[in-house]
Amino acid sequence: MIIIEHLRKEFTLSKQQRKESATSDPIAIAVDDVSLQCKPGRIFSLLGPNGAGKTTTLRMIATIFKPTSGTVNICGIDAVANPQEARRKIGFLTGSSGLYGRLTPNEMVKYFADLYGIPRNEFEERKQKLFNLLDMNEFANKRIAKLSTGMKQKVSICRTMIHDPEVVIFDEPTSGLDVITAENIITLIRNCKEEGKTVIFSSHIMSEVDLLCDDIAIIHKGRMLHNGTMEEFRANMQEKSLTAEFIRIVHENKSEAV
Amino acid sequence: MMFTIFKKELKDTLRDRRTLIMMLVIPILIFPLILNIFVGVSSSFSKEAAEKPIKIGFIGSEESYLYEKLDMLPESYGKKEFVMYSDTNSLKADLRSDSIQIGVYTNEFDAYLTRKEPAPVEVYYNATDMGIADRAERYIEAVEGLALQERYIDMNLKEEQLKPMEVGYNNVASSKEMVGKLAGGILPYIFIAFGFIGCMYPAIDLFTGEKERGTIETLLTAPVSRLQILFGKMGVVVLSGLLAASCALLGLFISIEFLDIVQDEQLLEIIHSILTPQFVLMMYALLIPLTVFFAGVMIPIAVYAKSFKEAQSIITPLNIIMVLPAMVGFFPGIELDAVTACTPVINIVLATKELMAGTLDIGLLALSFSVMLVLAILAVIVSYKRFDKETNIII
Repeated sequence: MIIIEHLRKEFTLSKQQRKESATSDPIAIAVDDVSLQCKPGRIFSLLGPNGAGKTTTLRMIATIFKPTSGTVNICGIDAVANPQEARRKIGFLTGSSGLYGRLTPNEMVKYFADLYGIPRNEFEERKQKLFNLLDMNEFANKRIAKLSTGMKQKVSICRTMIHDPEVVIFDEPTSGLDVITAENIITLIRNCKEEGKTVIFSSHIMSEVDLLCDDIAIIHKGRMLHNGTMEEFRANMQEKSLTAEFIRIVHENKSEAV
Repeated sequence: MMFTIFKKELKDTLRDRRTLIMMLVIPILIFPLILNIFVGVSSSFSKEAAEKPIKIGFIGSEESYLYEKLDMLPESYGKKEFVMYSDTNSLKADLRSDSIQIGVYTNEFDAYLTRKEPAPVEVYYNATDMGIADRAERYIEAVEGLALQERYIDMNLKEEQLKPMEVGYNNVASSKEMVGKLAGGILPYIFIAFGFIGCMYPAIDLFTGEKERGTIETLLTAPVSRLQILFGKMGVVVLSGLLAASCALLGLFISIEFLDIVQDEQLLEIIHSILTPQFVLMMYALLIPLTVFFAGVMIPIAVYAKSFKEAQSIITPLNIIMVLPAMVGFFPGIELDAVTACTPVINIVLATKELMAGTLDIGLLALSFSVMLVLAILAVIVSYKRFDKETNIII
């Protein structure tokens, strides 16, 4: 379960950043008063154009960034006050694999298992299960730098799931991937739902959202424009396609918040 | 957790070819290579210079005492032949063009000799021709010695009668002290220079590199505090610096022990008496806080930089600022005192020198160590503050 309330994130701009953004404001607001709930066994999709604040929101949930104000609660843990405890419940996966090229998949997964403090026999069991599931045994001892994008993504998935997280955060997980590789991610998200995990993912690919999500939030310029179930969204659509409806909402609500 | 990070980062670092070359290969090979080439070239040059047949341009009479005695000097003084000149201008021109190597001009040499007066002799040489001035001096002194002996006999004098004093100069410094104070600067310099270079690549790779490759974001989602991550990574940076410096010292040791770079037996014995396990331990005790300080200076830069290139362009000039003061050790007059003991880098160089010479004041050693320890702690705090700032570590 993820509950976030009145989340706000400000970044202090340097002189150069102010010049580049043509603003005299010393502060940039990346996320402004965002509240949402992601429930176990459901897939929550955070939708928004580039620079909307999706990644910043997800990074705050994953405790990489500390919110300027507001609360983040992960499975009953105050993630702002106890980030390390909250991280034990979270798996975080991005489109860029975030892997160490000089390690092998075996070493990479073991490293993260050690960081999560997983006991040795439990680790071996989980690793073997994931390696078999993702068909990774063949390249388990090859250096990651020498693997294909698809293989790397499998290692990323394995790294994300090795500690069996209750909450899984996907930040544009399929961006830059071919359809075959992206399919692995789609399957993973579905599996997570079936296993009763809480899933939140950000995307701007409407077909993915349509395929997977149970709840949807649209975010633009750091502010929430829509928050509800997918059924409600579909029922209230004014345009024919999801993409057209998404564009309409973004354009119509540029200065409004839900 | 910290050890898990340390182990992984060490493995990662040891698999990076660029770091490995900078950290292990170059430091081990540099001294055997440089010293071998240097000693080989300089000894073959000295041999060649000593054996080279030279031409002596002579202005004066071939019947003169000077010419005759010079001509009679045995071949052990070096092979020579004479070319007669009538004026100094052509003699100097030929010296410049290396047609001749030494020029000697004397006028009425024998007349002066008969009158028991000093005969004027002008010696010309080209100072860019290395070793030639010594050779000229050797020839002239040999002839002068012969003339002096003949004059003593002529005047019925004994050499001792014209020598009012028999002076003995006694050096109270031990040979160990002499080597330590005069040449002792080289050891800490090597350690500091290679320690800095050894820290540089891992610092950039483990902080800027991780940021650039996007792996830091993944690492920050693991249940580890930033302080633990920093310490795990910093441990590898410090170890790399110490490894690089140790490899450079190992290279130097190999050169001395197995490649016969030091041919003077007495000097070799002194070097052995300095390089005791106790000395090595004390030196590492001094150099560890210095390496931590280096790592602590580099890490905030590596954390701040957005790319490997940017980090490298800032840290490389820093190398000069940090390592240049270590050259103070090459100047014999500068000693460890209350002021130099409080000056970072310089204090370690001078303390190591005193340690080698066996003249180290324990109070000044403690002061130097404390100063470096405080600076190392400060550098770690600054590194943590930088690393804890989220906009610094996520691009």
